[in-house]
Amino acid sequence: MNIRFNPKVFSSLLSLVLCFSISAFAQSDPKGERRVTGTYALTNATVITSPGKSISGATIIIKNGLIESIGNSIKIPVEAQIIDADSLFIYPGFIDGAGNAGVSKPADPERPANFDPSNPPDEIAGITPWRNVLDHYDSKNNQIHDWRKVGFTISQIIPEGGMLPGKTAIVTYGGKESSNILAQNSSLHARFRSSGGGRGMYPGTQMGMMAKFRDLYKNAELSIRHNTLFASASGVNRPEVNKTLEAFFPVLDKRIPITFEVSNDLEIRRVLNLQKENGFRLILVNVSDVEHVIKEIKEANAQVLLGLKLPNDKTANTKMEDLSDDMKARTQKIKEAYQKVLMQASVLESADIPFGFTTIGSNPSDMNKNIRLMIENGLSEEAALAALTTNTASMLGIQRFAGTIEKGKLANLVIMTGPIFSEEAVIKHVIADGYIFDYESKSKKDNGNGGDSGKAPNIVGVWEYTSDTPAGSSGGIMEIKKEGDGFKGVISYDNPAGSGKASSEMNNITLSGSNLSFTFNVAAGGMALEVSVNGDINTDQFSGNMSLTEYGSFPLNATKKPDQSNL
Amino acid sequence: MKNLKYILYAFIFTVIPITVNAQFDGEFVKPRTGKFLLQNGTIVTVTKGTIENGSVLIENGKIIGVGKNLVAAGAEVIDCTDQFIYPGLLDGGSRLGLVEVNSVAETQDFAEIGQVTPNMRALVAINPSSVAIPVTRVSGVTTTLATPSGGLFPGTAALINLNGYTPDQMYAGFEGVVLSFPSSARRSTWDRRSDEDIKKEAEAAQKNLNEIWERAETYYKIQQAKGDLQYYPEMEQLARVIGGELPLLVEVNAATDILSAIEWIKSKNVKAILTGVAEGWRVADKIAEANLAVITGPMLSIPTRQSDRFDASYTNPGKMAKAGVKVVIRSNDAENTRNLPFNAGFAAAYGMGKEEALKAVTINAAEVFGIADKMGSIEEGKDATLLVSTGDPFETRSQIKHVFIEGYRIPMSNRHIKLYQEYLERSPGLEKN
Amino acid sequence: MKKMKYILTGILILGCIITQAQTPKGSVLIKNATVLTVTKGTLEETDVLVENGIIKKIGKNLTAPNIEIIEATGKYLMPGIIDAHSHVALDAVNEATAPITSEVRMADVVNPYDIGLYRALAGGVTISHAMHGSANAIGGQNITLKHRYGSGNPEDLYMKEAPRTIKFALGENPTRVHGRGNGIQPRTRMGVEAIIRNGFNEAIQYKKTWGAYENALKQKGANPVPPKYDSRLQTLVDILDGKIIIHCHSYRADEIYALINTCRDFGIKNIVFSHVNEGFKVAPELAEYTMGASVFADWWAYKFEVYYSTAFNAAILMENGVITSINSDSGELIRHLYHEAGKAQRYGELDDEQTLALITINPAKQLGIADKVGSIEEGKQADLVIFEGHPLSVYAIPQMTFVDGVKYFDIDKDPDDMRLKVSASEAIEPIFLKEHNHRCMQDVDFLFNNFGRSLFNHSH
Repeated sequence: MNIRFNPKVFSSLLSLVLCFSISAFAQSDPKGERRVTGTYALTNATVITSPGKSISGATIIIKNGLIESIGNSIKIPVEAQIIDADSLFIYPGFIDGAGNAGVSKPADPERPANFDPSNPPDEIAGITPWRNVLDHYDSKNNQIHDWRKVGFTISQIIPEGGMLPGKTAIVTYGGKESSNILAQNSSLHARFRSSGGGRGMYPGTQMGMMAKFRDLYKNAELSIRHNTLFASASGVNRPEVNKTLEAFFPVLDKRIPITFEVSNDLEIRRVLNLQKENGFRLILVNVSDVEHVIKEIKEANAQVLLGLKLPNDKTANTKMEDLSDDMKARTQKIKEAYQKVLMQASVLESADIPFGFTTIGSNPSDMNKNIRLMIENGLSEEAALAALTTNTASMLGIQRFAGTIEKGKLANLVIMTGPIFSEEAVIKHVIADGYIFDYESKSKKDNGNGGDSGKAPNIVGVWEYTSDTPAGSSGGIMEIKKEGDGFKGVISYDNPAGSGKASSEMNNITLSGSNLSFTFNVAAGGMALEVSVNGDINTDQFSGNMSLTEYGSFPLNATKKPDQSNL
Repeated sequence: MKNLKYILYAFIFTVIPITVNAQFDGEFVKPRTGKFLLQNGTIVTVTKGTIENGSVLIENGKIIGVGKNLVAAGAEVIDCTDQFIYPGLLDGGSRLGLVEVNSVAETQDFAEIGQVTPNMRALVAINPSSVAIPVTRVSGVTTTLATPSGGLFPGTAALINLNGYTPDQMYAGFEGVVLSFPSSARRSTWDRRSDEDIKKEAEAAQKNLNEIWERAETYYKIQQAKGDLQYYPEMEQLARVIGGELPLLVEVNAATDILSAIEWIKSKNVKAILTGVAEGWRVADKIAEANLAVITGPMLSIPTRQSDRFDASYTNPGKMAKAGVKVVIRSNDAENTRNLPFNAGFAAAYGMGKEEALKAVTINAAEVFGIADKMGSIEEGKDATLLVSTGDPFETRSQIKHVFIEGYRIPMSNRHIKLYQEYLERSPGLEKN
Repeated sequence: MKKMKYILTGILILGCIITQAQTPKGSVLIKNATVLTVTKGTLEETDVLVENGIIKKIGKNLTAPNIEIIEATGKYLMPGIIDAHSHVALDAVNEATAPITSEVRMADVVNPYDIGLYRALAGGVTISHAMHGSANAIGGQNITLKHRYGSGNPEDLYMKEAPRTIKFALGENPTRVHGRGNGIQPRTRMGVEAIIRNGFNEAIQYKKTWGAYENALKQKGANPVPPKYDSRLQTLVDILDGKIIIHCHSYRADEIYALINTCRDFGIKNIVFSHVNEGFKVAPELAEYTMGASVFADWWAYKFEVYYSTAFNAAILMENGVITSINSDSGELIRHLYHEAGKAQRYGELDDEQTLALITINPAKQLGIADKVGSIEEGKQADLVIFEGHPLSVYAIPQMTFVDGVKYFDIDKDPDDMRLKVSASEAIEPIFLKEHNHRCMQDVDFLFNNFGRSLFNHSH
């Protein structure tokens, strides 16, 4: 069931890690930042080597990125930097089954002049399974830092884009000198997302995407048949190289699974139907409503990643006794729905479905609170730790060198001041790939740059936005400039009166803390409509909603283009 | 070419039999007034009980006699044996006459640009030649409230009779300024605003309304004091509401919004009628307590909430009526305003009862619009606006046989009927010859 | 912690009930009803015995041990109402991105949690034809649903015996979306006709290519190269092979006539026209060459192509021998199709049996399921509705609705709130007012009107 790695790639990556110290010492470091030794001794700690197993008073020796030894009476090498871990608890580093920290969206390709939305080129339609997420990955991104701070040391990163955005990779969150890559092309990623761009293009809906998926799969099979034929017989026409279909080959061979993002039980069923028809290996990403599909998930032998995000308790402050009978019944239903969300993890556990976690869509600062909520709602601590470590390691096929604290495994550790999942426990250090990161308890300071800062975000510049509507997604540019004490700006969007783009002045641009809001007017069909946008900024990311009177409100996300001129 | 034309004319005149002295085929039946005696029908007066084997005498647009064994010299007698005579049905809210083809913007005259446009008068945009008018009136719906919509104060609605060649000939004596009361509701499942955003926006909208209203009150005060005022037609119209000359038609649907609207109306001390009121049943007692009349409908619409009982929209008028609210029913339609009686039928079936539902489309409407001296029942001295049917006019099985509007006998024809006449047995059929 | 386990078990059991392998079949004896069989007249004070989902016996004084008895004296029993054109229980309606999208399947996006299913049941509707929208000349493959509300598994709702059907659309919608919206054919009714003909001709080629390949495979020593697979063309091949019934959204007589000719040219007989507002003008042709027309009772003037309509359409079609049904195309109308049918009595004075056929046996014929449902006959599936009052009266109130002999609606016993799924993140409920319920152009309205062109439009 495990991923079979391309051994060549893996061994070369591993040797890169091992040889690191040698090649690095050839350089001098006038800044004096380079570490002196890659050997550490963590002494006298309570070590939870894997879910349910622990050693107290143990010492761990780490050397050059690997756990060299662990036990109660270990000789500490002289070159080791000693970390007194008396009264500390050490856990295996957490593994993120699917994350997008540090991953950026590749630029949309230019549309050809004779663009036909009913038959767009794959690349424009979001069908780019040949893409390698590593080509759009920045290992120095702040988000990585934020996730490491809460204990993640390995992540399977997923590509940004449309319905088939590309192949995932597995990375560690180690030192900045390293490439930190554990495996590339670890799975083919898929999701129900249209690359519409305003007017919509094929495929624009879930049913269109399912049909497209089936056709691609079937044609990939035919393509293999053709290739085999060409290789073995003469008088056969040369196969046309099609990189989309070729990207499916390792899936067809069951060398890699498909990681498929889903948002509810019906989407899970849809994906399971595709799986049943075609027989690929499957990891369901960001599952919910699992109680309805337990049997189906088990039958399909699908693997499961649960999101770390939980909704707010909408009825927490509702006083039931003040409500009318029918409102009381309604509120009760919302409470039950909320409870069901909290119990997703425990439902999976009691159904004996080993699951991991995905960080997609969630916020690092909520992680501990949310896992504790899951535990309060029936998840065992052991299963919670397994979901953070061993389960995901097996799912990603990296259990041979990650997921537990054992001799020979990667030195990925989480060092805490108390037992994990207890409210007062704080992470003191995280060791990733043998690199040690110190996180002083309570204080938000750390030795990296970025993170939370009280400074108001700089919104001046050019933003690219996309907005998801029931008709697919659309997008454009917003350009914000400083004007006196305030701002002015222009937003472009798909012209409702015809093809191409139109643009309007942005009005009432208000920045309060990290909250940005503005309005703009759109003329459509002889009517002027006011659109209001509101959301939050996190450095160069904007995430919010666009509200459109009668039509409701839709998510709008924007990314600021890197400052070039610094206007 | 000319010759050809003559030959063609000659051909037409010789071959096709035509009515004597007429240049064209057939005869156009116009609405006509006169003296009519509707004889021997069951009269459902609405206000004065039911009269079996009764007659109604019409002259000069008015009902001049109601009772048994009426005789009238020179009157055109219409035998109503086994038939029923009802007052014409009033629709408390419709776009009939303000739009011809719903998706064609050029024919939409119900929504003006702007949020505060109370000075936009529906009456001036009524199209007396709308094809939908004859289609509607043969159903017995004789009178509708033409209602603008769109912004916060989208305009001034007007009550019209469905007969006449100019808006003034059609005007039925009531106008009211529409206010779309700000909503705190989530608008369908497409509305993905957060709960917090919805609340924030609703508060902002409410504040905006109050600010506009304050301006109107200031305007009114200065006007009353004969002070200096700049031309401001929007405020001019709102001042008429404040002065009590025009009532406010407050469009409001969600339960919490209805409660806010009631408070608002009370605090502003204006003459108001609630319209829409889709969730009126949730707060029926409060509406009754505030002594506000309600125009609601259509019943034939989905429940406002997914959690509501399947029949919430059917039972809404009945529940409000039971709580003591004066209820008027509307179709809120345009081309299918003819479905008003069926809406009333559903209201009747689901708790309102036939009698109360009938009132809701006749006398209640007349009272709410302040024209009960002229309309809403079959009584001597009232306008001769009525229908004759083979049975209960709410039943689809019944056929409406005659319709009178202000004494005009309405031709029982329209484009739908003419197409039926032409195509029931098409000639040629499948094969030519 | 104990409480947690208890709740957990509850959630899991619920999940289990919801996903049982077999759709439930019920047994019931309905006594002394006025039975409107539709095909065999009206039977006064008659009993209907249902066993294991099938109508076993119709007669007087029937008895059956150990079966629930429902006393229906003074009440009417009619066959479950069938809606031949609906978009109920669908997460997506229009794959509006290409003029031909025959490869998409509505079965893929069925949403069994849609409260619209229950509301339809409360109006006596037991089967609906969940269709692709009308944005494309050739849309997606539809799915016929039995309203087995309560299951979380879409497959439990499929009427597996029903033949495949596909959506076509003519006139303003496809020309607006593609021609005027995206600047590709079709922009005119000429274009729509040509797109459909081109599609069929390409399908013929496709079939030939695959046929040749498969023949070559049988030859010894041959190494044929597999052609490209194309489910879009394959579906069109299946239409040409008579395996799929076309249900075509249409309004004007000319476009209806043109498609009749196209179908005749390609030897296609399985076609039903939907909406067909001007069907009355080509009633003799519809009667001769098609499986009939599924119309609105009285909708008109919501767009230009339905301006010259008549509410007498159903009556004219019926009198001309066209198999005629009345459809909803709306989450609102589906709740009272019996009333929509009743309007055919106001407009054209059809008799009761003709009128009831409009919403029972006739739509069953159009969906190819008339041998199983659509009337009350022994051996048919027990989809039944009990009415208080004659169903064609405006005062009629459905009391109970059965699918396969299982009661899915009971006016006295059901709780008010029948939602199967509740959002944990929205405490403010959405409020639906008029006009949010017409869905033939769902997913397209917003696309096309983009920033909200007309707030009051119907867009069927």
